[in-house]
Amino acid sequence: MNFVVPDFYPAAAEIFVAVMALVIMLSTTFARSIARSLGYFLCQFTLIAAAFITIGTMHGEVSYTFSNMFISDLMGDFLKVMIYFSMAIALLYGRSYLADRNINKPEYYLLAILMTLGMMVMVTSNHMLTMYIGLEMMSLALYALVAFDRDSARSTEAGMKYFVLGALASGLLLYGMSMVYGATGTLEFSGVAQSVYNQAANKPVLLFGLVFLIAGICFKLGVVPFHMWVPDVYQGASTAVTLILATAPKLAAFAMAVRLLIWGLFDIAEQWQTMLMLVAVASIILGNLAAISQPNIKRMLAYSGISHMGFMLLGLLSGVVEGDRHFALNAYSSAMFYAVAYVIMSLASFGMIILLSRAGFEAERIDDFKGLNKRSPWFAAVMMFVMFSMAGVPFFIGFFAKLSVLQAVVAAGYFWIAAVAVVMSVIGAFYYLRVVKVMYFDEPVDTAPIHAPAELRVLLSANGIAIAALGLAPQALMSICAYALLASL
Amino acid sequence: MSLLLIVLLPFIGALFPALMIRVGRNASAAAAFFATSLAFVLLMSHAPALFRGEVLQAGWEWLPGLGLNVNFLLDGLGFFFAALILGIGLLIIVYARYYLSKDDPVGVFYTYLLLFQGAMVGIVVSDNVLLLLIFWELTSLSSFLLIGYWKHLPEGRQGARMALAVTGAGGLAMIAGMLLIGDIAGSYDLSVILQRAESIQASPQYLPALVLILIGCFTKSAQFPFHFWLPHAMAAPTPVSAYLHSATMVKAGLFLMARMWPVLSGTEAWFYIVATTGLVTMTIGAFIALFKDDLKGLLAYSTVSHLGLVTMLFGFGTPMAATAAVFHVLNHATFKAALFMSAGIVDHEAGTRDVRRLGGLMHLMPVTATLAMVAGASMAGLPLLNGFLSKEMMLHEAASTAWLGQGWVLGTAATIAACFSVAYSFRFIAHVFMGPIRKDYPHHPHDPPLGMWIPPAVLVVLVVLIGLFPDTLAGPLVAMVARAVTGGQVLDYHLAQWHGFTPALGMSVVAIVVGTLLIRSYPRVRALWTAGPHPEAKRIFDGLITGAVDIAQRLTHGVHNGSMQRYLAVMLSAMLLLGYFVFASSPNAPGTRALMPASAVAVVGWVLLMGACLALVLMHQQRLLALVVVGVIGLIVSIGFVYLSAPDLALTQISVEVVTVILMLLALNFLPKRSPRESSTVRRLRDAGLAIAAGLGVGGAAWAVMTRDAETLSGYYLEQSVAGGGGSNVVNVILVDFRGFDTFGEIIVLGIAALTIFALLDGLMVSAAGRRLQSWRPDQARAADRHPMMLAVATRAMLPLALMVGIYIFLRGHNVPGGGFIAGLVVAVALIVQYMASGFGWAAHRMKVDYHALIGAGVLVAAATGLGALVAGFPFLTSTVWHLDLPLLGELHIASAMFFDTGVFLVVVGATMLALANLSRLGRHAEHLLVNREPMDVDPSRPSFAAGEH
Repeated sequence: MNFVVPDFYPAAAEIFVAVMALVIMLSTTFARSIARSLGYFLCQFTLIAAAFITIGTMHGEVSYTFSNMFISDLMGDFLKVMIYFSMAIALLYGRSYLADRNINKPEYYLLAILMTLGMMVMVTSNHMLTMYIGLEMMSLALYALVAFDRDSARSTEAGMKYFVLGALASGLLLYGMSMVYGATGTLEFSGVAQSVYNQAANKPVLLFGLVFLIAGICFKLGVVPFHMWVPDVYQGASTAVTLILATAPKLAAFAMAVRLLIWGLFDIAEQWQTMLMLVAVASIILGNLAAISQPNIKRMLAYSGISHMGFMLLGLLSGVVEGDRHFALNAYSSAMFYAVAYVIMSLASFGMIILLSRAGFEAERIDDFKGLNKRSPWFAAVMMFVMFSMAGVPFFIGFFAKLSVLQAVVAAGYFWIAAVAVVMSVIGAFYYLRVVKVMYFDEPVDTAPIHAPAELRVLLSANGIAIAALGLAPQALMSICAYALLASL
Repeated sequence: MSLLLIVLLPFIGALFPALMIRVGRNASAAAAFFATSLAFVLLMSHAPALFRGEVLQAGWEWLPGLGLNVNFLLDGLGFFFAALILGIGLLIIVYARYYLSKDDPVGVFYTYLLLFQGAMVGIVVSDNVLLLLIFWELTSLSSFLLIGYWKHLPEGRQGARMALAVTGAGGLAMIAGMLLIGDIAGSYDLSVILQRAESIQASPQYLPALVLILIGCFTKSAQFPFHFWLPHAMAAPTPVSAYLHSATMVKAGLFLMARMWPVLSGTEAWFYIVATTGLVTMTIGAFIALFKDDLKGLLAYSTVSHLGLVTMLFGFGTPMAATAAVFHVLNHATFKAALFMSAGIVDHEAGTRDVRRLGGLMHLMPVTATLAMVAGASMAGLPLLNGFLSKEMMLHEAASTAWLGQGWVLGTAATIAACFSVAYSFRFIAHVFMGPIRKDYPHHPHDPPLGMWIPPAVLVVLVVLIGLFPDTLAGPLVAMVARAVTGGQVLDYHLAQWHGFTPALGMSVVAIVVGTLLIRSYPRVRALWTAGPHPEAKRIFDGLITGAVDIAQRLTHGVHNGSMQRYLAVMLSAMLLLGYFVFASSPNAPGTRALMPASAVAVVGWVLLMGACLALVLMHQQRLLALVVVGVIGLIVSIGFVYLSAPDLALTQISVEVVTVILMLLALNFLPKRSPRESSTVRRLRDAGLAIAAGLGVGGAAWAVMTRDAETLSGYYLEQSVAGGGGSNVVNVILVDFRGFDTFGEIIVLGIAALTIFALLDGLMVSAAGRRLQSWRPDQARAADRHPMMLAVATRAMLPLALMVGIYIFLRGHNVPGGGFIAGLVVAVALIVQYMASGFGWAAHRMKVDYHALIGAGVLVAAATGLGALVAGFPFLTSTVWHLDLPLLGELHIASAMFFDTGVFLVVVGATMLALANLSRLGRHAEHLLVNREPMDVDPSRPSFAAGEH
């Protein structure tokens, strides 16, 4: 058995992050007195440096390494940069929150970095096993993060639920991968695609495998009927963790869906599109309906997240129409744009909850936002941007995300789905507007001044402005999405 | 560029009042006025070209990928509406300056107002439907801000929210409709879409697109059954009502119907939906308006009615009706804005808008009264005023159009609506301005300052002039707009007061007579109305919302009740359904491979396994028993491996089984002996059903795979084992050679896991959980002889034997079943038994080896083996075999892999011991037992022991 030294260059960022994870672990173990801030700053340094490495090693072509188990392409690079970005922001938002509750232990940052590494591996995998390893790496770190506040019963319960359900989902995914292997004889995406294209694969086994793969993907995206963990975990985890949970992993899950379904199983797109269609429509309906009655804003955002992910899936499932792949690129890039837009909005929404929280107080009820306009007109405006954007009101990024997905759906001819999506968006607008209403028209319940470090204020403001600015000029981001996909396909 | 500027000027202007908020309201108003008038002048500069029939276009790319471009188009229709918006906007800006009090944040008001104005202008000059949509939603938003401007009024907040919910929702529906239209036409540019009337009307998506777009129009223009938001929006300051709810925003729906008229109209669907909606709205609105006591409420319902009138005219689908509609839009904007402003003046000066508390104002505020009465007469449709002209045209069109083949329906209904219309207009005039002066006005009414009555006066002058000289003043404009609406058709008509004795004139006369009668006997009519039912739209709307919240609550409580069992059940059911879906839709014949006969041993093993599993499920509440059964299951599985000729696996399975059972035993120490029954019978049955179905599904899948021929990997390894790895035990060779690198990683992971368990258990003692553990009391008395002598003696005697077995298994591992992993487990079991039998203190005292070091040593040995190959010039972990001739023992094969295996062995022993020994230590802590260093012990904390023998 000969051992060939692989080309490490395309995986430079992954290797760097892995090494930095070890550095963080060891340095925070030995430098006990400054471990907390050291962990944080090393973590931020890692993310920023990784972004530079990823951008520096980026080139337009697709390259493979580690016996074709690893792929480096523009889509992966773009998503990775977005992941660093959202992780860095999430950690920054969460820092003071964690310190207030004395859970800003160095392990927190170690887990965050390991989770980032897991997501990077997911995004760049060209092989089901690599994908699975990345997924588990991300998920295990996330389970631990959700239960990080060990002395909070809610947090532990959430961690427990997430773990048990997540383990089942991982099992299903692995089972599906083994079936795909049984049907095609390979686990490499291009090999799977080749085998499916040549019709060499055993179709029923392949389809069974597909069902399980879809289940795994849907669990990570948190869509119906694999969404059950989402509200409980979002609510139970401390807000800083929910912020992480609701952002970057969605991008990784998007990459997983794209790699598994589009890279690997494009030729049975009609089958998985049908399944995703049911999933997406059910998610949009349930997410929006359930969100209406939530007095807890974290829970409301959880349900809204379910519907957003359903919306994102609409883009993914509009690629192939009766064998015609003409619209595929448009549809997939609209889904990618949607995922990115959702992450940006999600960051700001949970960031706002963190901003209003303080030691011993969680601003997680919608009532806690009452009269925010009187307490801080600017942050009320930021929250209004976020809510309008999520509702899909023009001149915010969320509108263009919805619009481009809807265009893809209409172009694919799924008129009834477009109608359902629109009707449910209308219902969705209702609960977003409720938040705006209480901020502007109600008297404040909580009259304490807003305490937050300057960097949180500045970045949250920038985040709000970005939501509006990207709504005015979404062209650049859209082109990047389209170009990254085009160069990677 | 000039087109862009016209749209942008209000937006730019919106910045100034906000910035100049401290300078005062004059400055804010002046800035707003300046920006608007600039835009108005720019617009007017295009008038000559437009009257010549030209169409102006300008465009920039914005999001070409989405088909969304900043394309503007100025034709007659757009010009007409833009002029209305900017022109009346100017008047409103002046009026608001005097209307708003000093305490109101005037700068904010003008900012909102200009934002709204810009959005409206954007709608009417957009050439791109997506751009139009964006402006459309912007008007909803800015009107929300304007309606809720007086934040202290709860009605304002409710009204604002309702208006936003209804119009915003309509806008979203329209997005879908526009996307459909764009999809059919192949472009989102209006100038293209307008050319594709035939293909759009022929498309199967025509009807859904039409309905969706009309929902947008009807919500915006307050058409039945979406009309209810408009009266509630009257909580807004009067300038807002005058601007948004008479002249502009509510006309946006009409504008869009006019814009899309060439494409969408002319079909039966269009006629029946639009004309009928318009007719119903017109009649109902006029009817309700008659009984509103709030001046603005009266005007609001009157607006609803007039909007219905225009909608109906567009619905007729004839060019003449469209022309009448356009003319009425103009007339309505002039008299209704004037009326709203007058109502505002009355409110401002008299302090109330309640009709019942007013009357006789003509004597106190003659100027306002004159203006209001002229405008009101125009609203009633009295001759010589502009309202009469377009109403005549409407009645004429209604009378000459058949509805469901019945010629009389429309004419009659329109006449009825006209009667009510006359009646409420007269009521407005008679009950507010006429009659005797009252003594109980909240304020002392008098005419307002000049700036406040000049704006309505300008409009009233227009009302009269257009009424007197329609063909001269409005003729060219109406003709130009009508051309733009109808796509260039030239019609033969002229606007005039007198057309001879036509049916329309008769209907007008009837309306005026009946209206007068109605108002003369108003108390009786009112009594009739009070007796009837009043479906209140707001209550229905609120009810809908409460209902939705209720459904949502039930949904979340029903589905997401926090029970993980339920979540698991849902997930599994979904998988089963999906799986069944695939199973049913694919060829599912069983495989063709010949089945092997079932031997007696296999059947017995099978029955045992099933029985044990069943027993486990039934007995799981008795935890100790359940654990025993788990052990049994593991043993049967190991026997199965033996039977299927996998002795290595069997050995591994047995040792792992033993270690896990011990682990669980140690953990059970902290748990009650029985687990309580927590779920209901129904739920258990459900879970049983799910489990059986899932098990059958997985079993079926396995069956399907096993009954088919498949190529396996094992052939390669069987061939290469001796040649490549120097050993004949394939499993071991794979572990230490073929997949040596993986194993290397795995032992590291194992070591880390053990360290983590250690760290967790160690840290547990000082955390909150540790404190709980400290205060924990065992739920039952334990036996006095903690470490039974029989067990202690037996384990001590067995220790050397067990160690010997371990070494034996290790040494033979490379060629026959065995190996470092199994040997490690065997040795670990032998050691851990000492802890169990003789107590932690006793065993720890005698165990001199540090388990941490053992793990480290193991990893280092394995790494050194690998590096050895590197030193010898081979890749990492390349294995070699040495042949040694030893005295007595003869020839000996030593594979380098054996050293590697030593590393595995050490790590396994270290890891297992570290984890298990510490778990048992935890038990000692929790039970507060004293450590007894004697070889034989009974519980030293027992009183009898303490008192007697020591």
